[in-house]
Amino acid sequence: MSESNATPADETIPVDHAFSCENCGHRWYYTRSRCPNCAKNEVETYKLSHGELVVRTEVSMTPPDVRTPNALGLVRFGDLTLIAQLADDVAEVGSRVTFTGEHRLRDGDEFMGPRLTSV
Amino acid sequence: MTSVTISGVGITQFESAAGRSILELAATAAKRALDDCELSSSNVTSIHVGNALGTRSGLGNALASTLSMEGVRADRVENTSASGASAAHRGVEAVASGESTVALIVGVEKMSHGETSDVTESISQLVHEREYVQGLTLPSFGGLAASAYLDRYDAPRDALATVAVKNHKNAADNPIAQFREQITLEEALESPVVADPLRLYDCCPMSDGAAALVLSSGDGVKVTSIGSATGTHAVADRTDLLEIESVRTAGERTFDRAGLTPRDVDVACIHDAFTILELLELEELGFYDRGTAWEATLNGETQLEGELPVNPGGGLKARGHPLGATGLSQIIELTWQLRGDLPDNRQVPDATTSFAVNVAGFGNNSVCTLLES
Repeated sequence: MSESNATPADETIPVDHAFSCENCGHRWYYTRSRCPNCAKNEVETYKLSHGELVVRTEVSMTPPDVRTPNALGLVRFGDLTLIAQLADDVAEVGSRVTFTGEHRLRDGDEFMGPRLTSV
Repeated sequence: MTSVTISGVGITQFESAAGRSILELAATAAKRALDDCELSSSNVTSIHVGNALGTRSGLGNALASTLSMEGVRADRVENTSASGASAAHRGVEAVASGESTVALIVGVEKMSHGETSDVTESISQLVHEREYVQGLTLPSFGGLAASAYLDRYDAPRDALATVAVKNHKNAADNPIAQFREQITLEEALESPVVADPLRLYDCCPMSDGAAALVLSSGDGVKVTSIGSATGTHAVADRTDLLEIESVRTAGERTFDRAGLTPRDVDVACIHDAFTILELLELEELGFYDRGTAWEATLNGETQLEGELPVNPGGGLKARGHPLGATGLSQIIELTWQLRGDLPDNRQVPDATTSFAVNVAGFGNNSVCTLLES
């Protein structure tokens, strides 16, 4: 499962990766400066596999450097939940999804990354 | 601890683009608050400014000087859209502890200061870094939460629109409100989509405006309790998208300290930056069971003449939402209600206990206030 060592607050971790605590095994997605369960600093990252689309929205009024409309989904990956951009093929709540491709999530090369697509 | 009272209140017009500078707005509200009480500027020992965007640094110091109050303690509190209530919280603590005998609280924002896109970008940066990458904005969370709520509770879209219609109706008779025209259910339902299923009339505007309180231990409306709490930074980190832990925790702290419950409240100001938030917060605070606030809204229970009047001044939705001033505008509305200052068509009869919740971001932080006459 483990792909690399990282700091819990490492913002360079790809958007399709989550964190796992080396000490207690607790997992989380949104960067923190330490494990929310045991407060230790040693973490690993791992690539998320498949999730389920729980709810979606299509945002028509977006920031100037974000696509319009911006389809977003709240997705459950096991015990983790995150919100990410949906590819055009993801329509139905309950769909099985995974991160794929290389897309411009916002303007700027630092914001290239995968979107959620149907499996 | 010294008991704290609201001795005076003052507020400016809430509008899309004020002709005055942010300092002039703040000073105007402050002078009106001082004129509203028997205390003078020489009695003030501390100034606490609530301001979110920070378009002018040193605002508290400039305000002290323009009001000829040099020598007082002054500071600025930033807590995004709850900056106003957080400034009030700091002022209440200052008076209650004896650190300050008379505290002047001023909330102010001039959102028309820059380009709309710049302001939107500034606000969008309050989300978590991994949310920012995805282009998430506050309306995005509102759209997701509204979609989940309507689906889980099989609630009709009309319930959200009814919140908007109610709050616009309440603002129609509020002279400081940004929007004073009533809207119909059809207009709300057919307005442009912002974040499906939320439409334009489900969302608060960007506003300019200022509001001020004079806090002391003298005569006035009693600040019975005030409490704050943070929640998760990332919205998806929450146990449930429809739960706002910061609202629940701040509410529990505030009610518990006062020995009161939601059933004791006669009138409430709820942070309705989006219509869905009014429903979620009413449920989170215990005014209604989960999944039932939409029915209460459709049944008219939250109307001005209902069992629990909610946002009698129009709320963020129609009174306007100048970030740093919003929390204080809620407290001022409730002060007017408790003092019986308002004309019959605005007044909640016999109100003695009131409650406000001011929320930062989409629940990153919340501040609750209980007032009694």
